[in-house]
Amino acid sequence: MTPSAALHDPVFRAYAIFAASLLVVVGLILAIMSRVLKKDVSSIWKTYSSWLIIVPVVFGFIFAGRAPAIVGVTLLGIFGFKEYARATGLYRDWWITGSVYIGIIAVGLTSLCSHPRGGPPGWYGLFMTVPVYVVALLILVPIISNRTKGQLQTLALSIMGFIYIGWMFGHLGFLANAPHAYGYLLYLVFAVELNDVAAFTCGRLFGKHKLRDRVSPGKTVEGALGALVFSMVLPWLLHFSFPHFGGLQLVLTGLIVGIGGQLGDLAISVIKRDIGVKDMGALIPGHGGILDRVDSLIYTAPLFLHMVDYFYDLSK
Amino acid sequence: MKHWSYDTAEDLEQPMIERLKSFPREPDILVYMIRGLAALCVRAWLRVYHRYGITGLENIPKEGSFVMVGNHASHLDAPCLVSALPLRKLHRVFPAAAADYFFQSVPRIWIASVVINALPFGRQVNIRQSMGLCEKLIENPDNVLVIFPEGTRSSSGELGRFKPGIGALLAGKPVPVIPCYLHGAHASWSRHHYIPRPRKLRLIIGQPLSYGHLKPGKESSLTIADELQKAVQALAPKQ
Repeated sequence: MTPSAALHDPVFRAYAIFAASLLVVVGLILAIMSRVLKKDVSSIWKTYSSWLIIVPVVFGFIFAGRAPAIVGVTLLGIFGFKEYARATGLYRDWWITGSVYIGIIAVGLTSLCSHPRGGPPGWYGLFMTVPVYVVALLILVPIISNRTKGQLQTLALSIMGFIYIGWMFGHLGFLANAPHAYGYLLYLVFAVELNDVAAFTCGRLFGKHKLRDRVSPGKTVEGALGALVFSMVLPWLLHFSFPHFGGLQLVLTGLIVGIGGQLGDLAISVIKRDIGVKDMGALIPGHGGILDRVDSLIYTAPLFLHMVDYFYDLSK
Repeated sequence: MKHWSYDTAEDLEQPMIERLKSFPREPDILVYMIRGLAALCVRAWLRVYHRYGITGLENIPKEGSFVMVGNHASHLDAPCLVSALPLRKLHRVFPAAAADYFFQSVPRIWIASVVINALPFGRQVNIRQSMGLCEKLIENPDNVLVIFPEGTRSSSGELGRFKPGIGALLAGKPVPVIPCYLHGAHASWSRHHYIPRPRKLRLIIGQPLSYGHLKPGKESSLTIADELQKAVQALAPKQ
């Protein structure tokens, strides 16, 4: 992955053109709705204008190459964890949050460097075992500072935060090492967002039965099923992203995005409802925090990575 | 099993700029890192460019909260007074800054809250609320409040009249207040200049005063403001 490779890569170019035209079309529709039909679109407009920034930033990091893409994912992980730490109150413990930040940086570094004895980029073995060392590091904090009161809660929250937000989301960065990185990364990001949109639209159109009324009252069974159907079809439509995939892999990809995407959404909802907050932050106007935006990717990235690795070996 | 209770950040769902405008601000590792780096740069800049020197460092209390008051002639005043304190106190030093000047546009808010660690002080509106913030600050242990009681930068460089608000804040409270005089700030960066000029800066720190014995009231406020003004003026080097 380099800028010149991105320029000549048909997959990258196709996604860039498609994303740009999608933004233009949606912008035109919104403009017509507000100017001609005189409808109030201010809230959608806010969400849309945030997309106008998110999309170029995402493409920028992927365009810039392998290392910038991994750094970008690591930064998202760090700031995502920061939101989680602020929501749970964990951020008051500087040593614990600092150690988790170190852990997330370690996840990024193991994706960047290769095995010391040589091999393809990305130290797969260490990447998969980073949690062992980070958990060991986190448990050292109360021991060294000689504290016991409330430490189990602090440890449990920090380990959950690291594994879920730092490491599982970090799998997205590791995918940048794959030979078909453009297809994998862009498809995942794109499909997961479309899956969200499909769930929302189907829910609005046909929604009758609540999916999990206590976790996320807005979601419906019909919306989830509609999104699943959509996500099952999408890999066939965008087969050019991974031309080496056979039928089984396409089906699995559809299932991972269709089910995993919504589970990721629900998982963050469980955390939010338990803490009692509406959003994890307010960084992105119209979207909430970083975690509210990337929640579906947290579930899908590791599953997709392991599916690809099982069938094709990531390095080939 | 009892459920956990979460100690969520007060400003969790506020946008970034609102978070920086609010006070007291929640601690933030990133902000502390930027502020620490900025403080190092500012201290180096003052030493090299302005040949900054301090006399009377021994008058600064080693522990507990205290208030620093000084003359106000330029934007260099707050960084100079903050630089007189050790770096480990950096995040506990709060210069009171005019809310109508420093907390209006995004770059100024950013500099005031991230770099300077300023307390937004309303000069025209919310004065009572701002006084409350200051009071709470010095009632907590180990905080330093930096105030310029003239209320604005002097355009001539001469020490202006101290506003009685400083007296209302200090009357009846045992906190030490340290008069400081910064010499050379007007020549370096008066309000008529866009960029600082390389003039020598010298900070003279006076002996701590305390007004715990005075009863709060209009009269004592005026007396304290007057006394502090004289104390600061007395530190000015004789021409």
